[in-house]
Amino acid sequence: MLEGIVLEIISRGEIYGYEIARKLHAMGFEGLAEATVYALLLRLERNRLVHVTKRPSELGPPRKFYTLNEKGLEELAAFWARWDFLSSRIQMLRNQGGHDA
Amino acid sequence: MTFSREITDQIAKFAREQSRFYLEDAEMTYLEKLRRKSGQTRDKIKAKLAKFKSRSDTAVEAENDMILYMSDYMKDLIAEGYSEQEAFERAKQELAFRSDTAKSSDLRKRFEDYYRDLNPADYEAAGLFYAGFLFIGVAIGGIAGYLAGGGRTMFLSGGWVDTLIGTAAGGILGIGCGLIGNAVITLTRKR
Repeated sequence: MLEGIVLEIISRGEIYGYEIARKLHAMGFEGLAEATVYALLLRLERNRLVHVTKRPSELGPPRKFYTLNEKGLEELAAFWARWDFLSSRIQMLRNQGGHDA
Repeated sequence: MTFSREITDQIAKFAREQSRFYLEDAEMTYLEKLRRKSGQTRDKIKAKLAKFKSRSDTAVEAENDMILYMSDYMKDLIAEGYSEQEAFERAKQELAFRSDTAKSSDLRKRFEDYYRDLNPADYEAAGLFYAGFLFIGVAIGGIAGYLAGGGRTMFLSGGWVDTLIGTAAGGILGIGCGLIGNAVITLTRKR
């Protein structure tokens, strides 16, 4: 689920790694381990779901800025489709005990 | 904001140590897909990649990413009131690799291999080597000490000390031979 959330955040505009963690904290995901976002970004990059632009940073090594590529956008669309299905079924379960109205 | 030289070095050292575990973890998912396609075993691919990884651009990038990520996190912590050292310790704790998939699975595999290849007969043979050499050594040392000391007459008038020294030296020699026997068993088993 976190992968979908991070893909959605990246889809809103170019962003760097720790800024994503900041956004997640601001959204209320405060219990999220700092390492989770770092590990997730490595995986997104290895799975070629993001486009990376490197820019100089004040700390020395170049800073990576992420945007979604075509494959990333497809993955995001698939995530939302899965989410819509799941949430509708859970809602159905909650309201009607799993039976169609 | 810039960090002290000492903390900057510590961040770089931590990033170099930890980033490879995260990278390996991220690559394993990719490798598993690759394995399905190519039919190669994961270990073979992993071994090949490990040689490449240690000097690859990807490893350096992962390391740099962690340096920046950690530095950003530390800046936030310092803004909250942490000292530089406290922020580093907290960031280190938060960013240390915890997954079972890379670091401990290697160790577990080595243990599994060790216990799988364990042969009780080897231990029995090693024990017999020790005991055998020890008895032979003690006997030879004792006889040598007894004879060098001057035989029965001298043994009874204080020459027993030479016998005792010979026995002790023979015992040590026996243990030494036992160790060599153990080494031979270990080397033979490795082949």
